[in-house]
Amino acid sequence: MIIEIRTKEKYAKNEEEGFIGRMAHAGLKVQAARLSRLYRVEGEFSRAEFERLGKELLTDPVTEKYSLSQWKPGLKGWRVEVWLKDSVTDVVGESVKGAIADVLGREPKTVRFGRAYYAACGSEPKLKHAVVKTLVNEIVNKFKIEKI
Amino acid sequence: MNDTLSRFTTLPAKELEALDKAAGWSLNDRELLEVQRQFRNMGRQPSRGELETIAQTWSEHCKHKTFSGPVVFKDGSKVKKYKNLFKETIVKATRTLNRKWCLSVFTDNAGIVEFGRGGKWGLAFKAETHNHPCAVEPYGGAETGVGGVIRDILGVGLGAKPVLNTDTFCFGRLDSKKKLPKNAHSPERIMRGVVEGVRDYGNRIGIPTAAGGVYFDDGYLLNPLVYVGCAGLIPVDKIDKKVVPGDLIVSIGGRTGRDGIHGATFSSANIDEDTSASAVQIGHAVNEKKALDVLMRARDLGLYNAVTDCGAGGFSSAIGELGSETGARVRLEKALLKDTRIEPWEIWVSESQERMILSVPRAKLKKLAAILDAENCEYCVLGEFPGDGRLLVTHGSETVVDLTMAFLHGGVPNFEKQASRRKIKINSAPPARPAGKFGQILKDLLAHPNVCSRHSVITQYDHEVQGGTVGKPLQGKYGDGPGDAAVIWPQAATLDQADFSGFGVSHGFNPAIGRIDPYQMALHSIDEAVRNLLCAGADVSRTAILDNFCAASPRDPEVMGDLVLAAEGCLDGAIAYGAPFISGKDSFYNQSKDAEGREYPIPISLLISATAPVDDVRKALTINFKEAGNPVYLAGLNARGMGGSVYNELHPSGNNAVAPLDMGAAVKLYAGLAKAIKAGCVAAAHDVSQGGLAVTLAEMAFSGGLGAELDLAPAAREKRLTTTELLFGESPARLVVEVVKGKETEFLRLVKGLSVSEIGYVSEEPVLAAKDGGEALFREDLAGLKASWRKELI
Repeated sequence: MIIEIRTKEKYAKNEEEGFIGRMAHAGLKVQAARLSRLYRVEGEFSRAEFERLGKELLTDPVTEKYSLSQWKPGLKGWRVEVWLKDSVTDVVGESVKGAIADVLGREPKTVRFGRAYYAACGSEPKLKHAVVKTLVNEIVNKFKIEKI
Repeated sequence: MNDTLSRFTTLPAKELEALDKAAGWSLNDRELLEVQRQFRNMGRQPSRGELETIAQTWSEHCKHKTFSGPVVFKDGSKVKKYKNLFKETIVKATRTLNRKWCLSVFTDNAGIVEFGRGGKWGLAFKAETHNHPCAVEPYGGAETGVGGVIRDILGVGLGAKPVLNTDTFCFGRLDSKKKLPKNAHSPERIMRGVVEGVRDYGNRIGIPTAAGGVYFDDGYLLNPLVYVGCAGLIPVDKIDKKVVPGDLIVSIGGRTGRDGIHGATFSSANIDEDTSASAVQIGHAVNEKKALDVLMRARDLGLYNAVTDCGAGGFSSAIGELGSETGARVRLEKALLKDTRIEPWEIWVSESQERMILSVPRAKLKKLAAILDAENCEYCVLGEFPGDGRLLVTHGSETVVDLTMAFLHGGVPNFEKQASRRKIKINSAPPARPAGKFGQILKDLLAHPNVCSRHSVITQYDHEVQGGTVGKPLQGKYGDGPGDAAVIWPQAATLDQADFSGFGVSHGFNPAIGRIDPYQMALHSIDEAVRNLLCAGADVSRTAILDNFCAASPRDPEVMGDLVLAAEGCLDGAIAYGAPFISGKDSFYNQSKDAEGREYPIPISLLISATAPVDDVRKALTINFKEAGNPVYLAGLNARGMGGSVYNELHPSGNNAVAPLDMGAAVKLYAGLAKAIKAGCVAAAHDVSQGGLAVTLAEMAFSGGLGAELDLAPAAREKRLTTTELLFGESPARLVVEVVKGKETEFLRLVKGLSVSEIGYVSEEPVLAAKDGGEALFREDLAGLKASWRKELI
């Protein structure tokens, strides 16, 4: 299960501008962007328990929202999903794993932390070039791009 | 590889070289032949684990064989020979000065000086570099650099409590147009990753990051420099440590995985496209915090006899170092692992982070285990220190290493390096008067990447955690002016809120001067660091300093020549300023091939980190103007020369002469000013450094929200000094002080006979105006100056 956390639109301007700036640095003009955090939790938990993790553990209810399915930000373009490679220690994932055990009383098998970027921009090759230049380090990261 | 290893003692030189490359050991020809000879004498073939151990132990990172080896330096027809460059320069300065307040120098993971009143505490200070890992993976490299230097402080004596982190970075220019090779990250990318790594590790572990700097130069485009430092407090009765034969080897903290294998040997090689991802380490600040908390409790209960950190080389290096006299018996099957798919030799050399090795008396293990369990900190007993001088490492029935410590630590062959002085043409002709107006040039200088505000970096760090950061990195009326030095009140460690003893930490760094004159670079850097401490109100007569050299390949005689000259500068500067070196580190092979396949080396780089006591932190100084009407004084002689200046980057003046430091005059000047500061005569002080006098005045003014009316005519100056040199030259040993109006007479009495001149007064009007006698120089409003300076770097 992937739990996706996003900043509420009225608070998201800074992170969006930061992302657009980074892409511009790599030569890509992005018209609009939205960002989110991803937690892939592998464990025998019910949907209600995943809901509880999203609501009580991983989200700041004042500034953020969560969803258990892929978010649709209402923006035409691309979705970039970035994770650490499985062979790389995921410190955030490890901490969340411990926290989940504290909340639910059972430890998940694994937790991995990632990010998703939604970008309204030009072609996929150009986006891929910019992502490799500024967002990911292919030594430690893996990523995929899909049309939305 | 097993087949090759079974023929190791008879391999021809070419096959030895190929084996070394395949294994990633970075041993040179002579070292490989010496290893071969030793095993031939033993009458057997080595195991992979033994060769890995030797490669780690003999690596540049662990043995510092370039700096501590023999060097022949040629300067024209003059030849000077060094048996051990490090001992004959850096160590010599400290031995010559022989300060009683130096409690531990060059022998442990960090240097220690006396701290505070009553002789109860020592201040441990150390700086490291983590350059190669940051070039490959900036975030992970920076994180683990911070984690590593914190562990140095945890591993000094029986463990010091960290109270301050420092960071100084060198990146390529963010606007660089140079084409990068395929495997290189852009400077923007490296900077972002490094800053985020330092931020996340320091903030999560709860240590303030409050001193440092960021420097941009295209020399660092392919090889960024990441200096990380840490200071901590240790009770003086916990400084001595000694492994007792029979003690258990206990590893606490993180688990062992395949991450970070070959980090130590990596530092002996240039970065190229084949650089292995496994050389990258991954940090986990929370695990290190658990180890920190355990150590502080166990130390005070006397539950272990010695401690050191697992840094480069992992168990191999840490256990080898602790057991260098006693030997060590290690059973690797006892190690806690992240991943079971790991070879025994990999367990032995892995550089997985957040691990500390303790030497624990058997009778105390139970009590220690109780603390470890209470702090949720994992541990394992790996073996014991037997006292037979032999290193025996096994994994089940397999022997991984069986060597004598004498061979391991004394067997590395050292050979003479050639060094020569670089030929640089010096032009001392007066710089041409610039075409533009001085006011606009001042704004351009304030906006230069090496001068402008670092707030976008600094504000990412928690510099307030532990509640003792008195002298902050951002200062002044609006909390955004550039501080000269951090002032720390370590009450979180001493738990004594009635004692206001603190310490200052500052830096000096001048690679632009190093390109022209490495000797003067060292002097300027020491002077800048000491001057910064003085500006914060520290007692500079008790300054202790660290040297961190970074250079390109030492196989280039001119690179070695730069190193020799800088080391000689360190010797002369330290003795003149009475400031002993207490610790240091060096990093070589900071060069790579550029997009055209040409070697691209960094310039010789020396970071001087300095610390000195602040007797009462409540009296620490800041840089901003405080009160309208207060007189402004310039201390120090304005000397000729624009070499290495920021101005020369923007407006090449043709003059590249570096103003030499007059050490004797500087020391006298600082002693006089220190008395005036102690007497409460000085309201603000700021050093003159990058950008020159005009930039210093502007920073003091807009940080205080107060203007100044200045006439520079009385300023002491060399003959034929031009206005450009006066305003924008970067000659050393100068600072601007704002004097408390009612104490001006006392101030003048205390600085009598010194090069100190009144140049104007602080004004209510938010305008900085300067003239030189009859010549008006500039008149600029503070808002415009500040707007130029306050750029977003990241």
